[in-house]
Amino acid sequence: MGFLAPWFLAGAVAIGLPFWIHLLRQYRSTPHPFSSLMFFERRTQSSIKHRRLRYLLLLSLRVALLLLIALAFANPFVSRIGAAAGGRKLLVIAVDNSFSMRYDDHLARAKQAAMNAVSRLNPGERGQVLAIGSRVHFLTQPVQEADQLKAAIQGIQPTDEQSSYGELARALRTIAQTARTPLEVHFASDAQKSSLPPAFADLRLGSDTGLVFHSVADSKEPNWMVESVTAPAKIYDPKKVRVQAVVAGSNTPATKRTVSLALDGKVLESKSVDVPANGRASVEFVSLDSPHGFHKGEIRIEPGDSLHEDDRFDFAIERTDPHPVLFLHPAGQDRDELYYRSALESVAEAGFTLEPLAVEQAANQSLSKYAFVVLSDVGSMPAGLENILRVYVAGGGSLLVALGPLAAALPRVPVSNEAIQGSSYASLSGARFETVTAADAEHPALRRANKLDGVKFYQVIKVDPGQSRVVARLSNQEPLLLEKQVGEGRVIVFTSTFDNVSNDLPLHASFVPFVEETARYLGGQQDRSTNVAVDSYIELRSAKEQGAAIDVIEPDGTHPLSLTDATTAQTFQVTREGFYEIRRSNGRQEMVAVHADRRESDLTPIPQETLDLWKNTGRGPDTPSGDGSAAETQARPWSLWRYALLLVLITAIIESVLASRYLSVEKEVA
Amino acid sequence: MQPRTPTRFIDPALLAGISHLDLVAKTVVDGFVAGLHRSPDFGFSQEFAEYRAYTPGDDLRHVDWNVFARTERAYLKRYRGETNSQLTLMIDTSASMGYTSHATTKLDYGRYLAVSLAYLANQQRDAAGVIIFDDDVRNYVQPSTRQGQFMRVAHAIEHAQTGTHTNFAKPFIHFQAFLRRRGIVVVISDFYERPEIVIKTVEPLRYRGNDLILFHVLDPQEIRPTLKEPSLLVDMETEDAIEVSPEYAKEEYGAKIDAHIAALRTKANAAGIDYQLLPTDRPLDDAMREYFLIRKGRM
Repeated sequence: MGFLAPWFLAGAVAIGLPFWIHLLRQYRSTPHPFSSLMFFERRTQSSIKHRRLRYLLLLSLRVALLLLIALAFANPFVSRIGAAAGGRKLLVIAVDNSFSMRYDDHLARAKQAAMNAVSRLNPGERGQVLAIGSRVHFLTQPVQEADQLKAAIQGIQPTDEQSSYGELARALRTIAQTARTPLEVHFASDAQKSSLPPAFADLRLGSDTGLVFHSVADSKEPNWMVESVTAPAKIYDPKKVRVQAVVAGSNTPATKRTVSLALDGKVLESKSVDVPANGRASVEFVSLDSPHGFHKGEIRIEPGDSLHEDDRFDFAIERTDPHPVLFLHPAGQDRDELYYRSALESVAEAGFTLEPLAVEQAANQSLSKYAFVVLSDVGSMPAGLENILRVYVAGGGSLLVALGPLAAALPRVPVSNEAIQGSSYASLSGARFETVTAADAEHPALRRANKLDGVKFYQVIKVDPGQSRVVARLSNQEPLLLEKQVGEGRVIVFTSTFDNVSNDLPLHASFVPFVEETARYLGGQQDRSTNVAVDSYIELRSAKEQGAAIDVIEPDGTHPLSLTDATTAQTFQVTREGFYEIRRSNGRQEMVAVHADRRESDLTPIPQETLDLWKNTGRGPDTPSGDGSAAETQARPWSLWRYALLLVLITAIIESVLASRYLSVEKEVA
Repeated sequence: MQPRTPTRFIDPALLAGISHLDLVAKTVVDGFVAGLHRSPDFGFSQEFAEYRAYTPGDDLRHVDWNVFARTERAYLKRYRGETNSQLTLMIDTSASMGYTSHATTKLDYGRYLAVSLAYLANQQRDAAGVIIFDDDVRNYVQPSTRQGQFMRVAHAIEHAQTGTHTNFAKPFIHFQAFLRRRGIVVVISDFYERPEIVIKTVEPLRYRGNDLILFHVLDPQEIRPTLKEPSLLVDMETEDAIEVSPEYAKEEYGAKIDAHIAALRTKANAAGIDYQLLPTDRPLDDAMREYFLIRKGRM
């Protein structure tokens, strides 16, 4: 018997309070003269004594209540050999079925070790089978039937998940708390170093958990893999496509490997590459001729090895036409168009083509086919054009407005409707130029533009931000870049021009990334990756697509989403390698290639001392290590605070009943 | 049932505001008598009442010789004046009689009662006297019908002060010496003594042919005490102190005092003694009626 928090026993001094209430305060009486005490004989004092006795009962309850509260906080415990001494234990058999267990016959050996562990199940004891991947899969409930456990072990199949020992340790702690019996855990795994959690504390086991580790991997097993593939998600010009692959080896000698690029199962090109010992080599393919539509790309290395699943790497690719961008500018001014076009079309992966048009000719222009519209230093617009632009933006389109000397005459910025307050010339304010001093580097337009560092702005148009968000400001505190949501679309206002007159932005290296990222942002192409790892989450819908049905088709053709999930799920977690198809409500189809996490391909084992350390987290210091039966002789503290708290509750109820009864008598008399 | 008028219900608390006891008596009795029907049995006169056959031992002076001459039978002629009674008031002035929970102490109440009865007796031409006692006789005014007797009695009553504790046995030995003539004896006390001792003490007075009335004067708080919290009660006679809880005062004490009153009434009736409980918050008419009933029976 002991206390886990004995300092709380100091709270027992609070019992002085009821003593004070009962003995010092309650019985303070004032004398009253009375004609005769003939009928208050000595026996009548027994009435007071009786009353005092009743109050003493109340006092005792109150003292007991305070003592029990202090006791509960002190957390008393008794050392208990308990169930372990009686031979009752829960046999937990965990089998690693992560991606790396596909290596050679690792999974078969693990299952065999698990089958052998089932034989340790004594009559009357229970066993439970777990499969360990990135999550813990409970294959059985705690059962006494060995046949049921063996059937569950036989049914274990390899997965593409990454194993997580931290998840296993957490599950074992939960089982130990739930079962309230000692655990004997047999864990069969390839003991990958990459399976360890970042913090060793996450591996902590319960005090009654004995761990027996069955390693099924040899110390150093060689493995080559396609570590990564860099390929564009969309192809606009097949001749400008570059596909890069990195081939790596783990515990491998230097060797030569053949790397092939295949599209829809057809090998397009093969290259031979020298892979250094325990190193990596990259290969690049410069053309990817393909018809329009989605295609299943694959990089594979030959010859294969014992883990042939990581000798190939899938990627999804879509051949499509570039999206047109309407560039509206005043007639006779084409410098800004020249710079903007050069920047936009220099990035083939962006997939935009610029369609310039004099603003005077755009009165009846249909805008629905354009990815976005650029309004470059427009001073006046034909009647109805601004309304067309406003409808276009409100319906989900995007607009980039560049303000120059001509636009300074406008009272307000088109569509965004913010007030224009005139021009600001740096030379007039005593400075030769202005620079960007405050910018949101996380904004998509500036993410790669290095905050437009070093760009000199000679003239900007002063705009009152109003309800717009200021993305970048100049040194004179004038807004340079503003964004505003209008209806379903957005408007970005650039308070200078692209013509290399009002500023020297087109001459800086940040101009192309600025134009490219702005175009991607306004064109809606900046999100959604098509190549992800297993256990990643795919975003299914944006804010605009709430309630719309989305269908997901797994690599084997199954539809994992229920009807409810199809209309409500925000994300979907991919759990296996292959190509997933996503069909959206607007008819658009996307393909996502999923590959196993390549950390699973690194078969470097965990050092033995680390495993020993892990095993010892489940035992006391005096317990001999070795097999799981050691837990049977272990004495462990059995906390009694719950029982103390239960007694507190019962005492409080009785005290309340008694106190209310005594008080009710006094009220009646009064 | 006698008709009642509001004047009969004079609150004892109101009487406490009247400084002179003779005035108190007049107020009470006049109000009380005014409410009664006229009765031939009440009032004083020397007119003929009845004839009664002579028996040996009777005073020959009362023989109606005219009747004897006509009938040769001896009859005694009786007059109303001969039915006058002697009223002896015995007032307990022990310390406990000084208790009150409102305006009128038990002793004051006893005073009002005694002086009212004395006044009434005086009006009836009855001889009235008073004995003031606690554990001994403190004052004694012999019953008489002399001029100024009422004032002497009233004076004695007015100057009665609370003394020590009650002791029935000792003063009552003296009473027997004082009470030579048959009459009505009124004992006004709170009777804080065992009923059998009270009856045993006063019973000898009954043997002498006296009519005995016990007026048991108690404060309402003594009958139904209400305590809001445990209280330390101090005996006014012995100065003993006992702590009493409200529920005890309500339950067990109530039962005890009820049993005491019932026992006193039962034993008194068994001994041929009239008993009347008088809470001090009640008007005095019950006591007055009791006296009249006794007085009527003696005529």
